[in-house]
Amino acid sequence: MTNGPAVLVEGLGKTYPGGVRAVDGISFEVERGEFFGFLGPNGAGKTTTIKILATLLPKTEGRVEVAGLDVTRDPKAVRQAIGVALQEVGLDDLSKGRDFLELQGLLYGLSRAEARERAAELLELVGLSSVADRRVGSYSGGMRRRIDLAGALMHNPGVLFLDEPTTGLDPQSRIAVWEHLEELNARGVTIFLTTQHMDEADRLCRRLAIIDHGHLVAEGSPAALKAGVGGDIVHVAFNSDDSADDRVDAALAAVRDLPGIRQADFAERGLTATVSDGGAAAPAIMTAFQDANLSIANLSITRPSLDDVFLQHTGRQIRDSDADGDAEDRMWSQWMGVNRR
Amino acid sequence: MLILRESYFIYVRNLKTWLAQPWMIVAAVLSSAFMFLFFGEPLRGITALPGFPADDYQAFLAAMVIVMAVVFSGSDMAMVLLTDMMSGYVDKLLLSPVNRFSILLGTLLIGGTRAMAQVLAIILVASAIGVRFEGGVLGILGVIVATTLLGVAMGCVGLIVAMRTRSVQVTVNSWLLFMPLAFLTSAFMPRDLLTGWFQVAVGLNPIEYIMVAVRAVIIEGWVWDSILPGIWILLATTAVLVGAATYEYRRATN
Ligand SMILES: Nc1ncnc2c1ncn2[C@@H]1O[C@H](COP(=O)(O)OP(=O)(O)OP(=O)(O)O)[C@@H](O)[C@H]1O
Ligand SMILES: [Mg+2]
Repeated sequence: MTNGPAVLVEGLGKTYPGGVRAVDGISFEVERGEFFGFLGPNGAGKTTTIKILATLLPKTEGRVEVAGLDVTRDPKAVRQAIGVALQEVGLDDLSKGRDFLELQGLLYGLSRAEARERAAELLELVGLSSVADRRVGSYSGGMRRRIDLAGALMHNPGVLFLDEPTTGLDPQSRIAVWEHLEELNARGVTIFLTTQHMDEADRLCRRLAIIDHGHLVAEGSPAALKAGVGGDIVHVAFNSDDSADDRVDAALAAVRDLPGIRQADFAERGLTATVSDGGAAAPAIMTAFQDANLSIANLSITRPSLDDVFLQHTGRQIRDSDADGDAEDRMWSQWMGVNRR
Repeated sequence: MLILRESYFIYVRNLKTWLAQPWMIVAAVLSSAFMFLFFGEPLRGITALPGFPADDYQAFLAAMVIVMAVVFSGSDMAMVLLTDMMSGYVDKLLLSPVNRFSILLGTLLIGGTRAMAQVLAIILVASAIGVRFEGGVLGILGVIVATTLLGVAMGCVGLIVAMRTRSVQVTVNSWLLFMPLAFLTSAFMPRDLLTGWFQVAVGLNPIEYIMVAVRAVIIEGWVWDSILPGIWILLATTAVLVGAATYEYRRATN
């Protein structure tokens, strides 16, 4: 690998033929050895960005360097330096799992013996040894993701691009993949991962960028981003039959007047308040409820989650959009013949 | 050379994919056998026409069965490539550091291989029903080499269709494109016995000259006057189509 950061993106823009502006002038850097997350809802531009970084898609404008190499001028060297697992796994259904991996190795320049050995090693690692000689077409969704991931690792790449690697995995396999990625990262592999799962980004990534409608809306470590929301979330639940009551309005008004309260609203049969210090505010909030003659069923103080970060920056919940729409659109456009580049 | 090594790996993968679908192979052989059966039997009497060049109509028909099978194999190649495009496997190959043209070469070569295997099967079927090859063993070898090349050329047409349209509905129906190539020929009757616009159209179809050459080798032996034009046209057609497919491929992968 040459010098420079693992990924350098400056003013990257992508307009698809037909005019869709999928990525609109984003800039960021990923250091070598970093675990970097790209978080965003459906249609945000995650896959588009990763395909450009991986040399699969031409950019419209901007500068992109991966492993110190320009993706447009030196695509072949970039390809050799990186491993890629796309959102839509590109598998060869009629080939056997082991053959698929060995061919991947050969295409990246491994010798036959090396490819054979490495394939066996990775099959073991992703837990597919027992089905290695079965056709990939007979694998379950989770197995397909895992063999695809193994394929991306065959040549020991220094930088790994993973587009939603755990979508469609059961909780157990998800955790297994997470652990494996952490282990790879600990060994020095730079990982660039996209996800729409807050918990995944939170657990894995040392630094994240949040993308929405082709723009980066926030960037930083998960902790810093959450701290940026400013304070804790206090949620007070009270008995449901009381909710239409005057007493509720009185309690809400009283809470809003308390010091250190940034925001307080009714939500989910209770009150949710953003406060600078949850521990300090809780007793006063309880008193306000007592004064209003409301009995508290439950009170919780939580640190803000990445959901709250996303909400703060976009005014929307990340879960608003629906994941299946895109898959259907894709099927349809393939059938009808749509230029996908 | 590296590009040959890479092309070989991709070729072997394509070969395995093909062999993993035995029904494709059975169907190809059966369809050729049906041609002999359903055209050869009812049209047997044509040999009595004055000026008809062969005594055995099945022998006359053999060239048509061979060339037609290879022409239509172009449509199969379109589907082969489209399947890989839709599964995302082409993207997987493009993500690897192999030369772009290794992928193209590995695909074109499988088109040739499939054509070759099919022609071999047809020759066996033809021999089994009593067709004699006047050109002898060398003639058979010549026909196999020529039709392999034609398979590559028709594969190019298929690849262009798949890359241009990226559409299942167009690609599954791409055999329509090959139909005039296959049927605007002297498939059933020599060109002198054809009439009107059809005869003119046949004269303009490059496939006709290839079919005439193949037929000459089968029913007459080494009659160079009939064979040479076929060879030149085959070489020219293949060169043009490989060039066009390469151009299209470069466009599609950049
Ligand atoms: N080939 C294409 N042609 C035209 N528009 C496209 C194409 N691919 C993606 N888009 C559009 O670009 C935008 C970004 O899509 P992209 O696939 O990058 O989003 P994403 O963040 O990966 O979403 P998801 O979470 O659903 O995978 C969307 O509006 C999408 O419809
Ligand atoms: Mg995506």
